Parts: sequence; structure tokens; C-alpha cells
Amino acid sequence: MRLLLVEDDIMVASGIKLGLADAGYAVDWVGSGERAEEVLQRESFDVAIVDIGLPGMDGLELTRRLRRPEMASHDMPVLILTARDALHDRVQGLDLGADDYMVKPFELPELLARLRALLRRSQAATTAVLAFGPLELDTANRRVGIRQEADGSLQPIELGPREWTVLEYLLVHAPKPASKDKLLQALTGWDKEITPNAVEVYVSRLRGKLEPHGVSLRSIRGFGYRLELQQP
Amino acid sequence: MTSDLRNRLLVMLVLPLCLLALIGVWLDYRSADEAAARHDQRLLRLLPALADSVLAPGADPQEQPVWLLAPPVEDFLRSSPGYSGFSVRDLSGRLVLGDDWVHGAVPATHEPEFHSVEVGGITYRVAVQRGRTGAGEMVVALADGSDPRQRWARHLLLRVLLPNLILVAAAALAIHWAVGRAFKPLVDLAAAVERRSPRDLSAIDEAASPSEVRPLVHSLNQLFSLVNAQAESQRRFVADAAHQLRTPLAGLQAQVEAWALLARSGVKTADRAPGSERKSTPGHDRKAVSAITLGAVEIEKLRDATRRTSQLAHQLLALSRADARSLDAQAMQRVDLQDLCESLLGLYLDAATGKGIDLGLDAQPVHVSGHDWLLRELLSNLVDNAIKYTPAGGSVTIRCGTGADAGGAVRAFLQVEDDGPGVPPAEYARVLQRFYRVPGTEGEGTGLGLPIADEIARAHGTTLTLERGANGRGLRVTLVFPA
Repeated sequence: MRLLLVEDDIMVASGIKLGLADAGYAVDWVGSGERAEEVLQRESFDVAIVDIGLPGMDGLELTRRLRRPEMASHDMPVLILTARDALHDRVQGLDLGADDYMVKPFELPELLARLRALLRRSQAATTAVLAFGPLELDTANRRVGIRQEADGSLQPIELGPREWTVLEYLLVHAPKPASKDKLLQALTGWDKEITPNAVEVYVSRLRGKLEPHGVSLRSIRGFGYRLELQQP
Repeated sequence: MTSDLRNRLLVMLVLPLCLLALIGVWLDYRSADEAAARHDQRLLRLLPALADSVLAPGADPQEQPVWLLAPPVEDFLRSSPGYSGFSVRDLSGRLVLGDDWVHGAVPATHEPEFHSVEVGGITYRVAVQRGRTGAGEMVVALADGSDPRQRWARHLLLRVLLPNLILVAAAALAIHWAVGRAFKPLVDLAAAVERRSPRDLSAIDEAASPSEVRPLVHSLNQLFSLVNAQAESQRRFVADAAHQLRTPLAGLQAQVEAWALLARSGVKTADRAPGSERKSTPGHDRKAVSAITLGAVEIEKLRDATRRTSQLAHQLLALSRADARSLDAQAMQRVDLQDLCESLLGLYLDAATGKGIDLGLDAQPVHVSGHDWLLRELLSNLVDNAIKYTPAGGSVTIRCGTGADAGGAVRAFLQVEDDGPGVPPAEYARVLQRFYRVPGTEGEGTGLGLPIADEIARAHGTTLTLERGANGRGLRVTLVFPA
């Protein structure tokens, strides 16, 4: 994954770079909005992290510019970093086309999780494949399976249409938990007279099929379910 | 304030009034006394005339003497019939002429004597004299019931004391009313200042106060604005300091977080191929990493300390923002509590799972009017606290919904309950104080979580309620929204 980091604070930038490189990202770092715009005209990235408080052109202006239709980066996910966490800034950041924001100082694992979520969303929008760990769900070809670490092949899993609906919904929202009510709503497309118990039935069937492959479906008390990777 | 003033005015005005009334009574008595003396003089003058009225002894000593009332005596008797009388007795006291009730001891000398006799409810002034008459030595007596002293005593209550008493009472009432009336604006002002919360330092409306107290209101307002400015500058200083702290902290944390990640993943950074880095990448980066001799555990300790410091800076900022004074300008919005609870659940699920805590939800659909980001901050602090202090295997529940309060009104609530060690009830008030930590508490709290939550609750016109959780274990923190 190629990532563009736009940050003027050397300490923050080198920390992020170090952490992200370790997580497998190829990080390009520039210290100003003007430089970022230049780089973006020549090269393309999978995702960008933009600090708001940049010298010269600020992060919000940069986000606005890289969203222009003629830019190749117009559909690139952007995560904004800000030391200003007033409500005003938050709303403005998202209005101008940022996909997510984080307030400095932040915890690196959370930044990584947000980046993964951003990438999954943009991936799903373009490739129609939803992935979670080794689990992959191809919405275009209606195939679901486990990607094998050894040879890279996909070991298919057989799912009924309602199980598919539940898994798709869970995958779209992972790693956030999905509420039982929402799952029920997703299922009512199939059955008009569906009961809350039905969700439990499909979840337990999915568990039987996924848990042998290291993907678990955890119940969240009072709320719903969440896809989790079993710790080895 | 006014009762003291009232009492002083009452004393100052009623005492002289009473004195005046007493002087009036005394003067009245004096004039009555003079009139009485004149009456006595008149009786005295009439006594010889009465003696002269007995012209000659009767034929028989048992019979009446020959008598003819002298004109002055007759005039006197006629002038006040019923209130006057006379008697003529012989020296043994036997009634010779006149009214039996007009009597008196037989005087030993020829000097006239006065005394009072009460007959039929009327007190008579009786003048008695022993004197020579046409029938020898007799005792003549004249009684006058129209004694001014009498009438004065009788009328003292009605004519003198009563009007004075009424006057004094009226004066007291008038003072009471007038003082209350005149000082009402001042009393209102005092009440308005008293009613204020310590946080409310807005100016008092000068135009609404009477012109006499306007200078006072003006100087009060000046004081308010001074204190306000000072509090505001202090608040801004804390906010600025916290804000400024966050920039270096962000750098520090980013570095330490990366080291911790690397140390954990065991990647040999020194072996990393050069050339994958480009442009402005500072070269000292790798050198610093390659020089690390700390173990993963030490680095993680360093990271945790950094996270704590960052959290403290963030909380200080949040606290200064939650200050009610700085919130006045912002309007409240409609906040979906269920949505808020669900989003916080998602936010803390990883932290809870990592600690082996069952984080759950019990949320009913409910909306309140409030500051969305502040309520998020509040709930975040409560959940963070609960997860921090609950041991592995425990459970934390986020709740929202509606319930009936003591008065039966339906009110929305937000609640976080854990089954951890809880807080001794004696400490409830103190854990809401800034930087206070329950003695013997383990974990890495800043002592600001609950105070921030409480400050935010106050900004919403309510307070936090702390109590024991279900089965008497743990802590349950509830915020009931005002109806």
C-alpha cells in the first residue's frame, strides 16, 4: 500500500512513518501542502494522511484541492490529523472531503485500524471484494472463501443466501460491531415475518463455518455481533 | 438587612412618639388638675352661702329648721342636676336638710375639708365645713360629681392614650411598609446576587434597577466582569497550555508508539533495505532506532506513560472547554443517546476485549437536548474509567433510556455500570474533585475523568449520581437529564 503522509512536525512524521512501514505500508512523506500537491500530480497513492496545521497551504485547503475532479487523487481516501478538536473543525474536515480524522496525539494501533477501515471501504467500492483477515467475500462473483496462506488459493465456503446477507453486512462494518436490529433489517428483504431469533440462527451457522478458519463472530452484549480474528 | 434597618427606624421614631404621648398625658392632667382646683374653689365659696341658707332653727329640734337656699347654691345645684347635692347636719351627724348620701365625717375644726365619695358609680367631690348657721353650729356639705379629675381619669384611656397608641401603631406600620417599599429594589438586587451560582458572573441589568442603587449595580457589574475576565484568562491559559503541550506530546507519542510496535513485531529495523525511504526523510531516524537497547516491555511502559500524559493534556483541554461559561454561546442540539452509546461501545470494544472485560450495551431509543461532543466526552470518560478499574473477567454496561423520577416525570438518563472494586460511598463527593484519586487505587488514572464528566453534567443543568452497582458491587454512574 502506498501512503502519502503530509506532516510538518518531524517527530510526529518520523514516528508515523516508522510505525506504518512496520505495518507494511510504503510511506512517502512531504512536509508541506504545496509539495503534496506537486507529488500527487505525478504519482498515485492508495491513501493519504494529512495534517491540518501545515505551514502555507493548510491541510483542509489541500484536501479540497486533491478532491478536484481532474486530480487522479479525487477518490483517494484521506485521513486528517488535527491538534484542533473543536467541533467546528471536525465537521469542516469531513465536509471538505476527508474520510476520517484523528486528534493528535493519537495511539498508533488506532491509526492503523482506521487506515485499514478506510482502505477496506475504498477497496470494496472499486473491487467488490470484502476482506477480513483470510476471509474474502466477492460480491460481484458471489463467492466467499478463505485465502490460503501457503499457496494463495481461495478455499471456498458454501453459504445460504441469508447467511450471505448476514456475513456481507458484518464484513462491510468490520471491525465495528453490527447491531442485531440492523442485521434483522438486512434480512427482512428475504422474509417478511422474520424474528430476532433468526439472526441468532444464521450467526450460529456462520460461526460453525468460519471459526475453523480463525474468524470468529463475537456477541456484543446488548448490541449485536462483531467479526474478530482469533488470536493464534 | 431590612429588618435591622426597620427596627432602628422603629426605635428612632416610636420612642419620641411615645415620649410625646406621655408629655401630652401630663399636660392634660395638669389642665385637669387646674380645673379641679377651680371647682374646689367654687365649692369653698358656696359653703358659707349654704350655711347662710339655714335661717333659723325649727320649732321642734326634730323638725327641719327654717331654710331658704341662697341663690348661688341654688344655681349651683340647678346647673348640674344629678351630679350635685348638699346636706346640712347637726354636730352629731344627723341629717337636718338635703341629701343623705352627701356626708362626711364631722370636721373637728372650722376649716373646710375635701374628700371624695362614691355613690352610684359616680365619684363626688365633697366639701364639708363646720360653720355657724341660723340654727346654730351645723355641718354643711356640698357634693359635686362633675369633677374634672374624674372625667379626666375616665377619659384618659379614650381621649388621650388611645389616639396616641393608634398614632404609634400607625407610625410603626407606616415605617414597616415604607422601609420594605423603599428598599425593595435593594432587597431584589441582593436576592438576585444571592440566587446566582458561583459560575454565573453575567452582568446585572443596570437599567432595571432604581437610580439610587445604580452606582452599586454598576460597580458590582464591574467586579463581575473583572472576575470573569480573570477566570476566563485562567481558563484560556489552561486550554492554551494543554493545547501547546499536545504538539510536542504528539511527536513524542508517535515516536514511542512506533518503537513499541517495532519492538513487539521484532523487526530488525537496522536490516531494513535503504532506498524505500525517499525525499525529506531525516536520516537520524534509523540511527536512533538501531541504537535502542530497551526491551519491548520497557518501551511499552514508556509508551503507556506517554499515552497517559497525552490523555492528561487532552482532559485538561476538555475540562477547560466544558466550563459552563464558555458554553453559553453555543446552542444545544438534539442528541441521539442510543447512537452515542453504540458509537462509544464500538470505540472501546478493543480496549475492553484486550483486558478481558465484557463490554455491553442496554440502550433504548431516546433523544435529549445537549452538546453532542461534550456528552461524547462525558461518556468516553465514564467508560474509560470503568474499563480501567474493572479487573479481567468483569463486565461494563453502557445504558441509556427513560425513567420516571421521584415526581413521576419521564426523564432521559445515561449510565455506565461496572462490577469492579467500586468506590467507597464516603469518597463519592471527593472523586468528583479534580486530581483526587481514591487512596490505594491501582491503574493509571489522571484523576480527571469523573470531574470532567461532572463538569459536563453541570453544563447540561444536572449532576452525576454515584452509587453501588447491581448486587452491591462496582460503581454505577448515572446522569439524569433535566425534564
